[in-house]
Amino acid sequence: MTEFRSKDPEELVAAMAAGDSGRALSAFYAQYASTVLALLTKMLGSPAEAEELLQEVFVELWRRAPQFDRTRGSVVAWVITVARSRALDALRARKRRHGDRQFQYQEGDALMTERKRPDVMASSTRWHQALRQAFQRLDAEQRAVLELSYFQGMSHGQIADTLQLPVGTVKSRILAGMRSLRNMLPIIHRAIKA
Amino acid sequence: MNEEQERAELLAALHAAGAASEEDERELEALLAADPSLVEVVKDFQDSIAALASSFDPLETPAKTLGKIQQQIAEEKGGLLGRLRRWFSKS
Repeated sequence: MTEFRSKDPEELVAAMAAGDSGRALSAFYAQYASTVLALLTKMLGSPAEAEELLQEVFVELWRRAPQFDRTRGSVVAWVITVARSRALDALRARKRRHGDRQFQYQEGDALMTERKRPDVMASSTRWHQALRQAFQRLDAEQRAVLELSYFQGMSHGQIADTLQLPVGTVKSRILAGMRSLRNMLPIIHRAIKA
Repeated sequence: MNEEQERAELLAALHAAGAASEEDERELEALLAADPSLVEVVKDFQDSIAALASSFDPLETPAKTLGKIQQQIAEEKGGLLGRLRRWFSKS
């Protein structure tokens, strides 16, 4: 199989939407699989489960390629959204199997603990490191609500119950955290390019 | 920023962070329909959270996974789902 001539993510998705499950899918997989696997592993806490889910995520991305809408976000945002959604499905299924135990939030559940694994690729870039550092610089309260919402799939009501806070406070912290993240990205871009 | 834009920004943040309720989602869709320029606000937040979620150290993927994915897709292409997908992509 020869390599797909373009590595442009949108072109790859367009080719997949047209039915290409060969070269375009291979190039798309090469571009995103290791990132998706890292996210799934982080969210599920189980490398074996994450590897199993990786297959399902890419089959779903191929199925959904015709619906990709570039005006709603970048390809990487779409990939991450699909992967996160499948990971949350897996977490809910696990909860149903093992009972709905009260979740005890501890700071760092999703993002702060970075255990080194032998299969961590050397391609961890300054970009990855800078982003994680930026997240760690967020206010601890903002970090907590973003971890619970994005990585644990909790609604603002569930977060309010878990952290024993008014719903309005949870919403304000989410908004403040998202604004901080949005404002940090251009700074990181500039710092890395310098 | 007027009140409606502030409300849209809050809903966009909740949506991107995965914390929006169904009611929030409906309200956001209505605001986006009324003012398409708000899509940029949603997009910015989604790109920010996606950047964060893709910031973990990449992991080596199992060697056989791509082959399994392609095999599963080949099976679907030949089945009812594949025929429906082709029909939808033409229409």
